[in-house]
Amino acid sequence: MVNNKGVKTVLKYFLIVLVCFFSVFPVLWIFLISIKPVGESMTGLEAILPNKVTLDNYANVIKLVPYLFQNLWNSIFVSVIGTVTTLFFCSLAGFAFAKYWFPGRNALYIFLLATMMVPQEVGVIPLFIIFRNLGLVNNHWGLIIPRLATAVGIFYMTEYMRDIPDELVEAAKIDGCSDFMVYLRIIMPVVKPALSSWAVLTMIARWNDFFWPLILLRNTKSYTLMVAISNLPVSDGMSTPWQTVMAGVSIAVFPLLLCYIILQSFQVVNVTMGAVKG
Amino acid sequence: MSQRNKIKKWIRRYKTPYLFIAPFFLLFIIFQLMPMVESVFYSFTDFDGLNEPDFIGLDNYKSLFNTKNYAFYDVLINTVIYWIACSLLIIGIAFIIALLLNAKKLKGRTLIKTATFIPYVCASVALALVFKMLFDYNSGLINDILARLGFEKVGWLTTSVYSKIPVICLFSWRMIPWYSVILLSGLLSIPLEYYEASRIDGGGFFSDLKYITIPLMKNMFFFCFITTTCDTWKMFNEAYMLKGPAYSNATLFQYMYENAFSLFDLGYASAIGVVLSVIMIAISVVQFIARSRQNDSFGR
Repeated sequence: MVNNKGVKTVLKYFLIVLVCFFSVFPVLWIFLISIKPVGESMTGLEAILPNKVTLDNYANVIKLVPYLFQNLWNSIFVSVIGTVTTLFFCSLAGFAFAKYWFPGRNALYIFLLATMMVPQEVGVIPLFIIFRNLGLVNNHWGLIIPRLATAVGIFYMTEYMRDIPDELVEAAKIDGCSDFMVYLRIIMPVVKPALSSWAVLTMIARWNDFFWPLILLRNTKSYTLMVAISNLPVSDGMSTPWQTVMAGVSIAVFPLLLCYIILQSFQVVNVTMGAVKG
Repeated sequence: MSQRNKIKKWIRRYKTPYLFIAPFFLLFIIFQLMPMVESVFYSFTDFDGLNEPDFIGLDNYKSLFNTKNYAFYDVLINTVIYWIACSLLIIGIAFIIALLLNAKKLKGRTLIKTATFIPYVCASVALALVFKMLFDYNSGLINDILARLGFEKVGWLTTSVYSKIPVICLFSWRMIPWYSVILLSGLLSIPLEYYEASRIDGGGFFSDLKYITIPLMKNMFFFCFITTTCDTWKMFNEAYMLKGPAYSNATLFQYMYENAFSLFDLGYASAIGVVLSVIMIAISVVQFIARSRQNDSFGR
């Protein structure tokens, strides 16, 4: 019996180590390759650790991608502004659905959930033409405005806000708070955990967004980082300068990853607390 | 007069909530509904994006469904394969990870949670480049390991038979953490008393899994399956970045993108978009009907 339990524990930790290895290894590998000199062998398991550490690859990427810093700034702009605005509009709508009664509320809420079934992407062609006519091609607001309020975000906020006691809202209103003040002063502080984890998830989605920037941004200067690195020269065979490519990948992946690890380890947010309630 | 007052009063009473939800519905109409309707319109036209669209009736659909249009059937089959393979892989592995994270007496739980969520934080475009390096024919790590074990090297991205595998691996690798978080929150909502009762009855891990965990997680699995369905049918980044020979690993959505933005055949591409939407709506409706039937038969 004791032996059986021991086997189980060993198996459990073995699986955990395996899962952690597969989760972390590719990311670690990006970094190790990116600091490897170009001449060093890339093939095989022995070549995982670099013999000599160099930062030349990063210099090469900066040479190779003409507007790298501009692209980095574009990514930061689009994801930060996009996240902040979407948090505001989603929580506002969530507040209305969770704490107000109005004619057609349930029907509208079900309609909102139904809109999630067909993604926005399928209407991309007319959308591109609309954007062209509005002069929003190459404009970063074109990536932000259509997603100011998303169905998933509103759903998430509504479900979270349902648990706020009605008395809290009522009491504030009796005290003479306007509706918007109730939202700002009473609701916002209570839903902080939901806001912060939704912020991180939105941030991840926006930073990593590729399809919309690829369609809407048509010159190298306005590219976001993802579009810029997708154009790095990668071909099948030996000719690919993997070290340089991986340096580019590092620049695209690590800023967000570091933010995530820092926020998560200081318990500022807890993304892994569970996004949907059972 | 009193009618007008009534309306005024009604507006004053309800204007706030309507105002709060208005942005979503406005944006939905402008950026989702209108484009969808226009898509249907364009799908009946010959349109290159510059000149006025010409109405050509069902020609786009005819050439799309033409039995000789191998590209379309290839990408359709690819997408179905991605849908089934990725859904099974993601939900299966995510469930195992969720069970591990939910284990009692787990040392370093926070650290493990943080580590296992890392793939989701990484951009699929960037990681596609890494997977390209992993699956490279000559210098890739996977082929190197295969060669050491005495197998032949495989042209992962150069032969049409295998080119779907890296795409499935990348997509699943990145999405598993997200689903394990969702499934973990489902596991946490199961009352512990159930397991305690099972302890008294002498139930082990696998009987708990079969009689308690999986039945109670049914709704969660259903939710996950709906979401993986949506995600896989609109898969683009992974297949676009890990391009195999011809259309051997392209998705339906990618086929639409290429027709629209590389070949500028916007009418034909719109027809693909319409077909894709119809398929996605049909799958969702079928899933919901199947689900509600099942619930009825259990008397819930």
